[in-house]
Amino acid sequence: MTDDKKINIVLAGQGNAGKSTVFNYLTGLHQHIGNWAGKTIEKREGTLFYNGYTVDVLDLPGIYSFTTYSVEEVISREYIIQQKPDFVINVIDTTNLERNLIFTLQLLELECPIILALNMVDLANKKGITIDQKKLQNLLHAPVVLTVASRGSGLTDIIDKVIDLRKEKIIYKTPEYGKEIETCIAQLSLLLKGIDLPYPERWIAIKLLEKDRDIISLVNGKRPEVLEKTKQLSESLEEIHGHDSSIVIADERSLLASRITRETVKITPGRKISLNDRLAAITTHKFLGYLVMIFILGGMFLGVFSFGNWFSDRLDSIFQSWHAYWNNIAGTSFAAALGWSAIESTLALVQIALPYILPFYVFLYILEDWGYIARISFLMDNLMHKMGIHGKGCISFIIGFGCNVPGCLSCRIMESKRERFITAVLVTLVPCSAVSVIVFGLVGKYVGLLWALGLYVFAIILIFIIGKISSKLLLGEPVELIMPMPDYKTPQLKTIIYQTWDALKEFIFIAAPLVIISGVLIQAINLAGWMPAISSVLSPVTVTWLGLPAITGILLIFGILRKELILVMLAAYLGTTNFSDVLTSQQMITLAVVSMFYVPCIATISVLWRDYGWKKAMIICVLEILFAIILAGLVKRILDFIF
Amino acid sequence: MSLTDIKDGQTGIIVSVLGGKALTKRLADLGLTPGTEITVLGRMLFSGPIQIEVCGSRLVLGKGLASKITVELK
Repeated sequence: MTDDKKINIVLAGQGNAGKSTVFNYLTGLHQHIGNWAGKTIEKREGTLFYNGYTVDVLDLPGIYSFTTYSVEEVISREYIIQQKPDFVINVIDTTNLERNLIFTLQLLELECPIILALNMVDLANKKGITIDQKKLQNLLHAPVVLTVASRGSGLTDIIDKVIDLRKEKIIYKTPEYGKEIETCIAQLSLLLKGIDLPYPERWIAIKLLEKDRDIISLVNGKRPEVLEKTKQLSESLEEIHGHDSSIVIADERSLLASRITRETVKITPGRKISLNDRLAAITTHKFLGYLVMIFILGGMFLGVFSFGNWFSDRLDSIFQSWHAYWNNIAGTSFAAALGWSAIESTLALVQIALPYILPFYVFLYILEDWGYIARISFLMDNLMHKMGIHGKGCISFIIGFGCNVPGCLSCRIMESKRERFITAVLVTLVPCSAVSVIVFGLVGKYVGLLWALGLYVFAIILIFIIGKISSKLLLGEPVELIMPMPDYKTPQLKTIIYQTWDALKEFIFIAAPLVIISGVLIQAINLAGWMPAISSVLSPVTVTWLGLPAITGILLIFGILRKELILVMLAAYLGTTNFSDVLTSQQMITLAVVSMFYVPCIATISVLWRDYGWKKAMIICVLEILFAIILAGLVKRILDFIF
Repeated sequence: MSLTDIKDGQTGIIVSVLGGKALTKRLADLGLTPGTEITVLGRMLFSGPIQIEVCGSRLVLGKGLASKITVELK
């Protein structure tokens, strides 16, 4: 292929602008999702084949600016400067044009070729907002395309524009700010002329006035005398404006953004209060908001679990006969038994993924795409703050109820390392769907539904207490919640499918291989006849302290693979699924409590390991094992009084 | 007065933002700079977060953060 048929573009924009939707639409199945080198931030790349052109698309993380505030921002700006993509597509939420333009201005400062994709124009029109496309184009000196990514409209226009403009080499103009700031920038640019750095001089000058740490130290290495001048200019700016010079610059940007918005946006007043507005008011109401949340989340969990139980039973009856088939085909040798345990692990994964995790995610992403998840963060923020994290952490908890693996992965949305870690630790304590299978299958079925629900309340209270303790132990300032509140909009099937698949993929590719390998390993230990020895070693804990049958020692080891195996294997070992024959009510509750907390499953451990290092992962495991054993023993002793 | 002191539905103009540089910068990137109009849409109980409208978009701020923003009633 000739080189001029190859184009590379990057998507940049603020959160909630619909960047991922554009990316998914353009690249479809030709996607590759990895990590930025050495970072726990997702790197999404894909390819589009269009009219004989090969277009490489990179989705930059959603950010708000290019100052070194977060890792995402540094990654994005370095990528644009170092890799020099043919075009930067700035995806903009048209309903929030003014705020989005602040970021656009920063892109223009980088002096890279950009194309504006004014996304969600349909929603903007519905709100009575119309945009003068021509005028916006003239004011920004950059091409503007109107898109509705959720319906795929306007997206090929972007690519057409990219192909057209590539030949032309249009001249981009950097945005012009107020006079005294421009004078400062001009003076610094002059001093920076010919400096050996990959950035445009004007941009370096702006960043110096913004007191960007990285840029200051870079310039210090090359031309330290410029910093002296910067200091002098900053001080004079600060004297005139009464604010820090970094704020003066930011101020200029928002002034310009608001001027451009005023000149290009027409809002038709007198529209009626829409249903969405009313919904927005109710769902964030002081009292009603919580009622609605309990109703929605409660409905979601009940719906998912009753569907899951039904579906899982169906699958059970299908898979039941497979073991006999396998024995017929493969025989009953040692190798065949190991082979079967690999199949059995896979089937058990299917049985948890399809009936529980899949519908859970579909529900969750419907809520997310609709705009409700941000409301939950808002409602839960003050409670979350008591645990030293802010409202967004609540989202990881909710995901954790489905499966801890994506729950832990989602902690990356937290801004600081400290919060990310606290959230991840707490997520590992959230009862996932596998644990729920135990709680409902054992306690719910034989002791009473109220007891099972009580265990959930107990778990939530414990998570709260542990959160409070860990936020005290891990020193550091809690980060405050800053979150744009999206408008409600109709969920898009395509977006939901993509997001569900993304989350499920994490479960499949991270969890499945580990579960299958360790399933075979433990089966090998079992076949070697070492299990009785292990259970007798563990019996001081299981029998003496917890009052459980000795066999549970083995079950708890298997449970590290997947918690619901505890129940599955209990049935296999005892030769009955009527657990009330073999376990008393106290024993069931004690076993459920241990299962809930004793250790994150192997897949979750692997995520902790990858994101936080093996030391922290091991510390979490050991602490949780000790905690669960002590706790369950105490619970048993209290229950002895009740039953 | 601080942003937390204005009633729901009232509009004010930002006078200043106290706090570290990273924080003020981040708020500025969202359009929260001195001189900007800001409307309080609602807040949660027990010193919960506050919902505001600024530059035509809705934003949620933690209470601690909101208390660092000084405003003047319009």
